[in-house]
Amino acid sequence: MLENSLGHPPVLDARGLYRSFGSTTALNGIDLQIALGQSLAIMGPSGSGKSTLLHALAGIELPDAGSIMLNLPGRAPVDIQGLKDKARTKLRREYFGFVFQSGLLIPELTAEENVAMALMINGVPRNAAIASAGSALAELGLTGMEQRRIGQLSGGQQQRVAIARAQVTGAMVVFADEPTGALDSTTGFEVLDTLLRCTVGAGKSLVMVTHDPNVAARCDRIVQLQDGQLTSDSLHPSNAAKDGAQQ
Amino acid sequence: MNILHLSWMFGRPAKSRMAPQILTASAYAMVSAILLIVLGGAYSFTSFELEAQGTYLPLAIFAVVLLVVPLLVLGSAAARLSARSNDRALSSLRLLGATGAQISLVAVLQAAGTALAGALAGIALYFLAAPLASLIPFQGAPIGSAIYLPLWVLAVAVAAIVLLSAGSAAAGLRKLVITPLAVATRSTVPTPSWLRAVICIGGILLLYALFSNMGQFMQSIAAIIAVIAGGFGLGLLVMNLLGPYLVAKVGKGKLRKASTPQQLLAARMILESPVESWRQVSGVAMASFVAVVGGSGAALMASPGNEFGQGTWMEHVPADIVTGVLVTLAISFICVAASAAISQSASTLDRAPLYRGLNRLGMPYTTMNAARTKSIMIPALTASIGFAIASTILVLPLAGAAVLLQPLTVITVIACVVLGLLLVRTAISVADPQKLLASRE
Ligand SMILES: Nc1ncnc2c1ncn2[C@@H]1O[C@H](COP(=O)(O)OP(=O)(O)OP(=O)(O)O)[C@@H](O)[C@H]1O
Ligand SMILES: [Mg+2]
Repeated sequence: MLENSLGHPPVLDARGLYRSFGSTTALNGIDLQIALGQSLAIMGPSGSGKSTLLHALAGIELPDAGSIMLNLPGRAPVDIQGLKDKARTKLRREYFGFVFQSGLLIPELTAEENVAMALMINGVPRNAAIASAGSALAELGLTGMEQRRIGQLSGGQQQRVAIARAQVTGAMVVFADEPTGALDSTTGFEVLDTLLRCTVGAGKSLVMVTHDPNVAARCDRIVQLQDGQLTSDSLHPSNAAKDGAQQ
Repeated sequence: MNILHLSWMFGRPAKSRMAPQILTASAYAMVSAILLIVLGGAYSFTSFELEAQGTYLPLAIFAVVLLVVPLLVLGSAAARLSARSNDRALSSLRLLGATGAQISLVAVLQAAGTALAGALAGIALYFLAAPLASLIPFQGAPIGSAIYLPLWVLAVAVAAIVLLSAGSAAAGLRKLVITPLAVATRSTVPTPSWLRAVICIGGILLLYALFSNMGQFMQSIAAIIAVIAGGFGLGLLVMNLLGPYLVAKVGKGKLRKASTPQQLLAARMILESPVESWRQVSGVAMASFVAVVGGSGAALMASPGNEFGQGTWMEHVPADIVTGVLVTLAISFICVAASAAISQSASTLDRAPLYRGLNRLGMPYTTMNAARTKSIMIPALTASIGFAIASTILVLPLAGAAVLLQPLTVITVIACVVLGLLLVRTAISVADPQKLLASRE
């Protein structure tokens, strides 16, 4: 579980995470290792600390205590906890992809430009960025919608644009917080399929917060959170067996 | 529970709505203070000798009319901000079962309340600024205590501002009811209709004829003033027809050439609604127009060999027109700066979740801020440079002579425009998402 078949160390290695907001303890001593190519579902009741954990792992908001190491193939390990705000922003846009419940797409831009933006911020020239964005959208079945504005897309299409944006930079870890939360179940599963195909299917890791057991069941591994502590951690037998790379 | 109680519950100063409410109230304070100072200045002319009044009052009324445009833009920016910051409270009211009429009443009462608070603060501001404004010289002497308006004018001004804000709240609410999801309205790029083109071309030709025959009007001050005033009116009309089109053109050019994320985003923001972009900076275009036409006219009148009635009230007219032009410039830039600051703050607050989310994704606040700043400054520069060039061409003989005869006046006017643009640039930095949102995280 900690090392994948190629013997790569866990891509994210979090130890002793602790975070409190006033008198609320959102994370209370969490150890979690995530393998490269693994899909991990984080479940738990509302307020149990799922989003806080996701934000900590992604270097969005640092925990009060603990350490988070990022080990990307071919790169020196990074201690996320030790990075300044600016460096973490850079880390996020270069190495991580994100899909949130609300797509966080810029309404003035076209679908294609929204995806290209992720590359342009990393310094990719506009034409190259637009070309990559176009093919990323095409892969997700959005051919013909490149020039549409965000308001002209359905919820499921918007989420797929967000997925395209999360993967177009080649990020090896994609974080998702309730990516299907605002969709009906059919559309939700279509989006989930797309998300899994773009991440685990391409050897990337997916860390996904979800309330929906059916969504979680599609992941290799499910952890349960309760009052800021991990209460269960199970490999999903069929999925883990299916791609077999996890043990 | 009655309506007043409801409005107070949802409209009273609350920590979560503090920023928009303070912004709105201070916008109204500025509108009323500026309005009162301008009216005070105009009012002070009534103390001149009767013959002088005949020239000064029309000019003053003309300046007041000119300033109404930027003041209205400022006022409506404030009204929209106030309506937006209450959107959420109002829709929760609706969920609680309040009728549409009740909600409208609550919204209008709230807007009026904020405007009242702002207008009263504006009166205080007026009394603070009046001593400074009273130093401005007209007819060779500072305005002095003549700037203080009679009490009833203050009361009427406050009432007018409260009524206007209530009116725009009611109008804004209609939009809110139509689009409860507050989806940004999309307007397509305006293509100039044939009517628009005819009016523009006709207006330009007329203006050109007017100004190239300026020499024939030089006989009397009244004729010069009539021509300049008529020219202004026509010019403003042409400007407002051409403006959105020009902004859209420039925006499209910027979109084509954009190579960085902020350039791309800024161009798209401008093209989102060229009409709205134009409206925000139309005061700048007007200022450029006033600066070029008024400035060169005044410079010319003040030039040697053009002495009007030495020893009478008329000898001060040229200098006073320069003063008037500078005051009008200053006030229009202050209005543009204030309304841009307000509407930008409103949009930053509106988009707080998007901005925060994008920052999480790794898009730095600085990129978003740069795009936002460009999306105002590009239209502002377009408006100011475009219309400065257009009006210079229009009054080429006049402007050419002014540069030769009165370079100092011309330089002063140009410096004023540059300062004004810098003021706008500084003012919109209050809406920096990093500053505005980080503190509320
Ligand atoms: N910025 C914050 N300020 C104060 N308290 C916070 C903040 N963020 C989270 N909390 C608290 O920390 C706890 C965990 O919050 P978190 O958002 O991680 O829950 P969650 O498991 O994602 O819940 P949900 O399923 O409802 O999204 C909650 O009690 C929440 O109230
Ligand atoms: Mg959550």
